[in-house]
Amino acid sequence: MNGIHDLGGRHGLGPINPEPNEPVFHAPWEGRAFGLFAATFVFAGYTVDEFRHAIENMDPAHYLESSYYEHWMSAFENLLTKRGIVTREELDAKVAALSKEPN
Amino acid sequence: MLLTAELVPAITSAGASARVAAHVAPRFRVGDAVLIRNWQPTTHTRLPGYIRGKKGIVEKDYGVFAFPDTHAHGKGEKPQHCYSVRFTARELWGEQASDRDSLRVDVFDDYMDPR
Repeated sequence: MNGIHDLGGRHGLGPINPEPNEPVFHAPWEGRAFGLFAATFVFAGYTVDEFRHAIENMDPAHYLESSYYEHWMSAFENLLTKRGIVTREELDAKVAALSKEPN
Repeated sequence: MLLTAELVPAITSAGASARVAAHVAPRFRVGDAVLIRNWQPTTHTRLPGYIRGKKGIVEKDYGVFAFPDTHAHGKGEKPQHCYSVRFTARELWGEQASDRDSLRVDVFDDYMDPR
């Protein structure tokens, strides 16, 4: 699909600024998101291509404003709700509950 | 199937590799001149927009992989070769680009034709 993910050759997005001594994960949740790939890949039985397509199907504005592992989280939500492993209501309830907790 | 501790090293080191053990004849050889198809699916593809309709040279054959365009949609692996194809910067970005630069893109058999 000719989606927002296909950025090659686009102008106006600013320079790429490599981070000196970049950590593997920028926050603990990113490590958990990485682990979720292996866990859900095995459990839900999707392909890496289906995973990539789930990222391409993100809302374009959200795609541009969100980080690498946020893209992964969107893909997990998409793939797991599509299979009925998690419902949208369960996700929304969990997000609401977590948002009340201190970080 | 559940993720167990024994499975973790293989998955985290190799990723979810789409390499396929099938023997499939390559459509191209290293050195072949190719023309990328103007393929514009509304479904998943690993063919970047900026190389469609462009001319390149096959530089390396990586071997056989599941074809992303079908594999993403439950339509089978359609195993085929994937290559590193070199494009000059001027072929992709026009005359203002450097005449010394080039770019290599991974391209599947089904994305290109001989020229």
